[in-house]
Amino acid sequence: MSPVEPVEAELMVLGAGPGGYAAAFYAADRGRKVILVDQERRPGGVCLNTGCIPSKALLHATGVMRLARESEGRGITFGDPHVEVGRLRAWKERILDRLGQGIRQLAQKRGVELLQGRGYFEDSRTLRVETESGQQFIRFEKGVIAVGSRPALPTLFDLGNPRVMTSTEALDVADVPQRLLVVGGGYIGLELGTVYATLGSEVVLAEAMASILWGADTDLVRPVMQYAQKAFKEVRLAAKVLKMETRGKQIKVSMELTSEKKEELYDGVLVAVGRAPNCANLGLENTRVTRDGQGFIKVNEQQQTADPALYAIGDVVGGAMLAHKAAREARVAVEVMTGEPSLFKDVVIPAVIFTDPEVAWCGLTEADARARKIAVEVVRFPWAASGRALTLDRPDGLTKLVLEPETERVLGVGIVGHGAGELISEGVLAVEMGASARDIADSVHPHPTLSETLMECAESFYGTSTHLFSRRRGEAAGS
Amino acid sequence: MEIRLPALAEGSDTGTVVNLLVAVGDRIRKDQTVLELENQKAVAPIPSPVSGKVTQLHVKVGDVVLVGQALVSVEEESGSISVRGESVEPETPSALRQAQGERKGQQSAEGYLYTSRGGFPPPTSPSLRRMARELGVDLARVRGSGLGGRITAEDIRLHLAALQGRAAGPVPVPGKPPATKSDFAKWGPVTRKPFSALRQVIARTMTDSWATIPHVTQFDEADVTQLLQWIKKHGASYEKKGGRLTLTAVLILALTPVLRKYPIFNASLDESAGEIVYKEYIHLGIAVDTQAGLIVPVLRDADKKDLLELCRALQDLADRARNRKITLEQLQGSSFTISNQGGIGGLHFTPIIHKPEVAVLGLGQARRGILPLSLSYDHRVIDGADAARFTRDLAQSLEELPESEVQA
Repeated sequence: MSPVEPVEAELMVLGAGPGGYAAAFYAADRGRKVILVDQERRPGGVCLNTGCIPSKALLHATGVMRLARESEGRGITFGDPHVEVGRLRAWKERILDRLGQGIRQLAQKRGVELLQGRGYFEDSRTLRVETESGQQFIRFEKGVIAVGSRPALPTLFDLGNPRVMTSTEALDVADVPQRLLVVGGGYIGLELGTVYATLGSEVVLAEAMASILWGADTDLVRPVMQYAQKAFKEVRLAAKVLKMETRGKQIKVSMELTSEKKEELYDGVLVAVGRAPNCANLGLENTRVTRDGQGFIKVNEQQQTADPALYAIGDVVGGAMLAHKAAREARVAVEVMTGEPSLFKDVVIPAVIFTDPEVAWCGLTEADARARKIAVEVVRFPWAASGRALTLDRPDGLTKLVLEPETERVLGVGIVGHGAGELISEGVLAVEMGASARDIADSVHPHPTLSETLMECAESFYGTSTHLFSRRRGEAAGS
Repeated sequence: MEIRLPALAEGSDTGTVVNLLVAVGDRIRKDQTVLELENQKAVAPIPSPVSGKVTQLHVKVGDVVLVGQALVSVEEESGSISVRGESVEPETPSALRQAQGERKGQQSAEGYLYTSRGGFPPPTSPSLRRMARELGVDLARVRGSGLGGRITAEDIRLHLAALQGRAAGPVPVPGKPPATKSDFAKWGPVTRKPFSALRQVIARTMTDSWATIPHVTQFDEADVTQLLQWIKKHGASYEKKGGRLTLTAVLILALTPVLRKYPIFNASLDESAGEIVYKEYIHLGIAVDTQAGLIVPVLRDADKKDLLELCRALQDLADRARNRKITLEQLQGSSFTISNQGGIGGLHFTPIIHKPEVAVLGLGQARRGILPLSLSYDHRVIDGADAARFTRDLAQSLEELPESEVQA
């Protein structure tokens, strides 16, 4: 095809991350002719290339090291681990390649054309793509913008020095710095701090707020904080990084703490202070798309931008920057453009943090309820009462239900503990279905599993949990 | 301010008020549904863009309203009471609240509105939320019969039936005085069922067409023995490619050249301009019998599609029509209509023209290979001789279609 001849498509999706490819595939399944454009050689977006997948691979690998160390107390001793960073990296890359190839195959089977190149909107219905073999124009009826986000790197920290990393570089594991400063105690800082601490770095974590995992319920954060204090050299709260500068092979960091100022040298710094939308150099000014003060694309509940031909989904529209949120928004956008009255409304989006232990929640949190002055009843089940948790040597967990008092409806579920990310899906189903605590209590959960903690938590609301004695509720139930 | 009817869907600019949910003096919240509107597609709730007090109603149940028309006047609330979705209600002991809920539950469906202190949607399941959206039902107005007001599929069905029952009563068919009341029950037991909104739309359009167009119907027959054998022979290979090979699809293939030869059959009469409008496109209305009644979705650019594309498109339209997944746009813009009764039985009939078209082709059942053709036409613009030539050419086009055209 000559490069000037535009290709025609019913739908053009810009960005092949978990939102973009979900939109492309779903539209193709509904008979639309779809072109999917992505600038990277390997499709999959941040999630596959520099996010969810590589971080979970590294967390698994380093988690095995921790398990081996902890088994000493059970009478099983391994030798000291020998880490070959090169092979670790190669193993991680193989996973990413396999998943990337999977996306290509799925696209091919559905007849979705995957075009590699950087996209630029010439107008609302035309995308110019700079490919390796030259320019290509796409004329489309509808477009979905799914260009995602990237780690924010404030200019203050941007020294042009590779020793100052964002999550993208940190996931490459070029080497293991001896002294590592992690700026930001959110989920990325904690997950990657854990990886590097296990690989041998001496980690100092600095968080500007009064708590790590700011925004999550405090009772869910507590076990993670306890772990971090043990695994990291230091966890500093209300700590403000003032300045960074290159000092030979090190970075000199000035930091303000509540009572003192510190100047220290680090071998590496990981900046994990949030993410910014990828809206630059897209030609959005040639469309009618509008953006908010932080640069996120404005959309309505149908994922429609201010431009009638364009939809936007995923990180680029803000909100929870999660792959599964993007994938749901993808479905809404495609359903709306094919004439269905779909809405991104009243959708329960679970949050999972893959720290040690994992934290997960869905629906209403206790903090939300307090902020919005919603009366709720909260029941907690500590994992110290779970046989399964004890056999795993992980009694440091908690399962809780946030209930509507009059109806006993489950409004939210929060879990901290081993495998919380896998357990939360039952909570999502309960909240989506408007289940009552009774529904969960009366559904038999298999023994001995961690999922029992949900059932027992619900039972404890009625004061009838087998493994947790509660006098208060017990009396209430008897009356 | 005046609440005006917002733009509904693309191409949809009118609707019938089926339910008024506010009265003068009522305090309403932003996003509270003020009335429910029925159009050809569904019942749509119309929310208030502001909070305030209702000062005047401009419409009543049964009124047909246009986009932009004023519906209700509202005196906007000054900052004193900021009422929003998550308004905080005064604390009430839960037992009392439940009793209130019970009482509310016993009211008629009209006044019911689900409220949650946290602003949560009424408890139901994700699948029913999707169904409600597709039917245009505001779940907050559906009384849930389950524990804690949980909404079931049956609750939605009852709510819809109640809405439709109300829609049926007061909406008159324009241009037709109400018939004198007959006491049918005097002569034996009877059952009364609502004259649904869709039936009323059909009634209006049919009455209008029949009353304003001088209809003549031309009958003819085509020998499709050979065609039917080919359809049997090649059907399987279409099946493999995702299309069902039907006589209707083959007929469209034979019909489009005839429409091109006699463009007057693909035209419209613009009486106000005193002109006949010839269309360069051929968009075929395909009458589909659904549970709710007759729906005529449009097959676009029928002359530009090959047989496989026609098969797929017909199947898709029929499926959408039966699942009520048709968009308003897909019901508009046809230039000629086909009504095929062949699947049911019967021979010739006199179809009614789908205004503003000027002709409609009715197909009967092909018995012993003979397909009955019934062409109704508008005698104001088409003469009998042309109609006879049209049906003869169509029959010949069918009889002489080469096998190569039917092969996949």
